[in-house]
Amino acid sequence: MSARERLLAAEKLVVGYHDHGILPGIDFDLAPGDCWALIGRNGGGKSSLMRTLLGLQPAVYGRVARRAALRIAYVPQRSHFDLSVPARVFDFVGGGLDTGWRFLRPWTTRAERARVGRALELTDAVALAREPFSALSEGQKQRVLIARALVSDPELLVLDEPTSAMDPMNEAAVFALLSQLCLREPAAMSVLLASHQMSFLPDYASHALLVDKDLGIAMAGAQAEVFCSSAFERIYGRSPGRLQEAVRAD
Amino acid sequence: MPIESAGPTLSDFLENIELFRDALGSGAVAGATLGALGVYVLLRNLVFLSAALSQAAGLGVAASYWFGAASPALLGWLSPSLGAAALTLCAVLLFTLPRGPAQDHHHDAHQDGLLGVVFLVGAGGTLALGTRIVADIADIETLLFGSAVAVLAEDRATLIATGATLLGLHAWLWRGFAAVSVDADGARVRGLPVRALDLLLFASLALGVSVVTRILGALPAFAFSVLPAMAAVRIVRNLRQALVVAAALGATGATLGYLAAFLYELPVGASQTLVSAALLALAAGLERLGVQHRHRH
Repeated sequence: MSARERLLAAEKLVVGYHDHGILPGIDFDLAPGDCWALIGRNGGGKSSLMRTLLGLQPAVYGRVARRAALRIAYVPQRSHFDLSVPARVFDFVGGGLDTGWRFLRPWTTRAERARVGRALELTDAVALAREPFSALSEGQKQRVLIARALVSDPELLVLDEPTSAMDPMNEAAVFALLSQLCLREPAAMSVLLASHQMSFLPDYASHALLVDKDLGIAMAGAQAEVFCSSAFERIYGRSPGRLQEAVRAD
Repeated sequence: MPIESAGPTLSDFLENIELFRDALGSGAVAGATLGALGVYVLLRNLVFLSAALSQAAGLGVAASYWFGAASPALLGWLSPSLGAAALTLCAVLLFTLPRGPAQDHHHDAHQDGLLGVVFLVGAGGTLALGTRIVADIADIETLLFGSAVAVLAEDRATLIATGATLLGLHAWLWRGFAAVSVDADGARVRGLPVRALDLLLFASLALGVSVVTRILGALPAFAFSVLPAMAAVRIVRNLRQALVVAAALGATGATLGYLAAFLYELPVGASQTLVSAALLALAAGLERLGVQHRHRH
């Protein structure tokens, strides 16, 4: 057993559909304050791994062990939300308060409203509170989605491509926010994010999960270990340093 | 030269309101109930759900008569309302069956296909069984799809009891129903009982649609579960308001529709549908004005 405190651990985990594994087995454990990057090509198995870790999809083999009563929040891609649903930012963030059986109380308490206010402050979205969610820019929407996740005070925040279709300035702001959440005292939050942003990930992630179902790769470890691996070069064709330089030059 | 008599007037309506009270009240309760429930129909992209369910309800009514004719002992026990509710509930369960992860990618196509199957089996089955029921065709039509013109006192009581139960349930559990309708994966990760909430939500839709179809008709049932919600989401700021405003618009559409049917001698269900559509057009106009106002400021 690892000496680190574990929030969540994958043990010989094989993910896939209908008892058919699409990735090799993988072992890793996620500790408080970790920031894990889940990387790989499109269609390479990232979503399947993420959904299995979240309990949305059964494992083909092995298991996902969670610390008892672990609080997890999930931020899906922005396109997941139907923009025709009427919601002011304050109400939208308040939707994240519903955990477990709390929905049995139909009203929102003063303490819950205060939590929504704190989540908006933390994500620098207070000024947006009365705006319709559908009218926000992509960067603003992402901050609000993160606020919606933070309002349930999670210990582990899981994000699916939070900076897709976003300009570089907003991307940098989102990564800075996530980094700040991982370092927050006294209750550091762990983050697991699926992303393609190689210009930012090496600077922010402490650990990485690299998957590719076509090449049969599933690798987990410290950031430097994964980013400097031959598996990384097989998938991306070059080292992350070169990749970072190329992306920044673009 | 003969003088054409003028059509019915508002004062005729008000003088005889006692005659229309049950039908007016029933329409308002049906409009309010399905109006509020329709918000979830809209959120889940299942606009044709109530159309499909009303066909399933029709098949349930036809089946209960057919079984009753085959075995008279069953007729007393297997009422048309029970048949309608049972078949609608079975149909709605199809939409709550868990899907494999691979099918999640084809979610919309899967649900569209299911809607088509339920609609076609319901309509085809009703027509087929209808030929086996020995009764006057007009009676069968009324048995299958109700009549919004005149409502029996016992049917009004059934509608009020059903409406009060469903509106009470939705006022209590709206946070849970909203959570699973807006973001089911997020709700599952946060530990909400998503499957139980889905089942309860769909069962309440099945009950509402089957009772309104049986008593008022398939057309108003479909109209009340789609149009008021479409209007409400255009003019409100959050889901809670949408539920309240959709209920109010549903009741208004039903009441004004009944009045318009009397004044202009129109079929009641069609009139209620057209008035509800007019309220939707009004809401769309208000939304446009609101957007322009926001852009100016």
